[in-house]
Amino acid sequence: MSVWGALAGGLVGTVLLTTTLLAATHVRLTRMDLPFLLGTMVTPSYARARALGYAMHFGFGLLFALGYWLIFSAIGTASWWLGALLGVAHAFFAGTALVAVLLPAVHPRMGDELTAADSNPYLEPPGFLMTHYGRQTPIVMVAAHIAYGAVVGQFVALAG
Amino acid sequence: MSAVAYAGSMPVDDGWPPIGDHAVIGDGRTVALVARDGAVNWLCLPDLDSPSVFAALLDRRRGGRFVVAPDVPYEVHRRYLPGTNVLESTYHTRDGTARVTEALTLPTGLAPQRELVRRVEGLGGSVPFVWSVEPRFGYGGHRTRIERRMGIPVATGRGIAISVCAWDAGEPRTADGTISGSFTTRDGASSLVVMAAADGQPLVLPSRKDSEQRLDATTAFWEEWANDRTYDGPWKQHVIRSVLILKLLVFSPSGALAAAPTTSLPEHIGGDRNYDYRFVWLRDAAFTVGALLQTGCSPEADSFFWWLTHATRLTHPRLDVLYRLDGRPGPKEEELPLEGYRGSSPVRIGNDAAHQLQLDTYGDLLHMAGLYVDGDRDIDRDSAKRLAEIADLTCRIWEQPESGIWEDRERRLHFTQGKMNCAVALERACELAERGVLPGDEQRVARWRRESTSIRRFVDTRCWSEELQCYREAADSEELDAAVLLGAINRYVGDDTARMSATIDTLRRRLGSGPFLHRTTVNRDEEGAFLACSFWLVDALARLGRVEEAAATMDELVGYANDVGLFSEQIDPHTGSLLGNFPQALTHLALVNAATSVAEATR
Repeated sequence: MSVWGALAGGLVGTVLLTTTLLAATHVRLTRMDLPFLLGTMVTPSYARARALGYAMHFGFGLLFALGYWLIFSAIGTASWWLGALLGVAHAFFAGTALVAVLLPAVHPRMGDELTAADSNPYLEPPGFLMTHYGRQTPIVMVAAHIAYGAVVGQFVALAG
Repeated sequence: MSAVAYAGSMPVDDGWPPIGDHAVIGDGRTVALVARDGAVNWLCLPDLDSPSVFAALLDRRRGGRFVVAPDVPYEVHRRYLPGTNVLESTYHTRDGTARVTEALTLPTGLAPQRELVRRVEGLGGSVPFVWSVEPRFGYGGHRTRIERRMGIPVATGRGIAISVCAWDAGEPRTADGTISGSFTTRDGASSLVVMAAADGQPLVLPSRKDSEQRLDATTAFWEEWANDRTYDGPWKQHVIRSVLILKLLVFSPSGALAAAPTTSLPEHIGGDRNYDYRFVWLRDAAFTVGALLQTGCSPEADSFFWWLTHATRLTHPRLDVLYRLDGRPGPKEEELPLEGYRGSSPVRIGNDAAHQLQLDTYGDLLHMAGLYVDGDRDIDRDSAKRLAEIADLTCRIWEQPESGIWEDRERRLHFTQGKMNCAVALERACELAERGVLPGDEQRVARWRRESTSIRRFVDTRCWSEELQCYREAADSEELDAAVLLGAINRYVGDDTARMSATIDTLRRRLGSGPFLHRTTVNRDEEGAFLACSFWLVDALARLGRVEEAAATMDELVGYANDVGLFSEQIDPHTGSLLGNFPQALTHLALVNAATSVAEATR
């Protein structure tokens, strides 16, 4: 299986995931903004945070595509629906552990449940399944990651 | 500054705060109306034209508000900190005095998207305070959820989140969609209640130190901005306050000037003339550019000019009456299920006047271009080409009946002021072409001139009443309209001022009420006096050389501003109560331009 197929799928899949999240924000389903969350790890400047966040977001998109490729290689098959299934698992992992627990632990500008807001500005923590950013956030995240996974799976399958 | 006694936090006027009881604070994106009783009764988030989060001004039960006020009877004195849009209210009670300083802060670093900071300081004795935040998202139509993040109450609804941080202001309690607290001030002690908001992104929860610093930095910014204003004529205090208010109404991302930050505040209590003014009216264009350039606000004038020339591309060469703050065409009108200010319903959002034909708009745009060039600003080739095409269109449409400056929804007439302004459009186009600003060969300019002459003939023969000694409201009509005064202001009137001078006298007799003018004889009894028309009267008098009369009228008019120097659209001439959307850009623009005209005439 071609790693280049996975990387190409990761790029296109991240574009689709980002667009889905932006559209969901626009129609007020969620306040989730992954590039903003990632970028503010590095800088408190709104504009720079967004620009850096997008770069980091695409970097992570490629990294996750490599993870998908490893799984496809291990089981010896790849398809869009298998990718979509992995996308569901990916979304739940992101919503429970990655963004909900690990991100607040390492983010220098994000509070957690033990922080008191008395010294520095803190970003609102995402909460379980990121529901602090809107109750429909888990649905949006699952939909976006299904799209991402399906694209990666299909690209790997096509690349052979 | 004035003092008003209240029993606790009870409002007045049948439970409604008077419109003129409000001051405004803003950050260049949105504007909040703060009543004397400490209630923020109007705030839209994230932007001035977004749905409201606090709208108690339109519905006491469903609207939502944010109150910080003493819990005992008090007298309140208010002012803006000198040269700023930071509001200071000093509450005197039997047992002590406390001061509330508040602003929508300007962001620095990783600040909340929008932040309303209210600082309470004890100045002597002790004063028990209560505060409560009742957010009601989407004009009260969305359910408010309140949860806690890191112990801080956060209200969410319609994709917006609001956190409320309180320091030395009591432990926040949450119940029934309300976050509240209470505390008692002590001499020299300070408390802080901060509301931070986020739309479409995670909340930034502020620290006390940063919020206080932002409040101080915001005060410093406004002081510096006001100090840079160049106006040094009469009524300086009123002119600078007006310019500060206009700056609040400028939507920073685009440079557009909103007509007012509110919707549906009535022109007549209990009436149905309640409209949404959170848009940009092209009509205000010339007044805006003139006022901004006269007071040294060149960057704001540039932004507005460029916003205008870009926004109008969507409908070019036709001009819509109004546009959204981001340049899109105005939205259709809808009615909201709110009770309306003192029962004045319906409450409307959007504005159906957007697509009316209002001929005066064409003159306003080209007159604005003339003022812009007079102010040593450049117009690029593309914009100049489009302005010339707008002049061409004016030649084709000036003979059509229209809805007029007052946006008549039932009648389409040959309004005098619309015709006058078409002549102004073509004459400014000729002048600009002669100066090489607009493209125009001899034939094109000759056509503009020919049509302008035809319009003047039309106005002279069909729109002048020898019997009334006044320009009529419309061709062959017996009604009168104060808008014809704009003929003097927009330079329709040349050296022969006899007719306009006679018109002023007739209008004062038929439409006047003290220093005020009603706008037309048609609806004189259905609404208050129109404040912009009253300032236009001053402007016209000054331009016609009747300077003493102008100055005397101006002296009277400025006395009717509310305690912090603000005007709405209209005023009840008998009680002095302000009516209509508040504060109104057109009124403050007219004030600035009237003051500068008198200053110029005096020189």
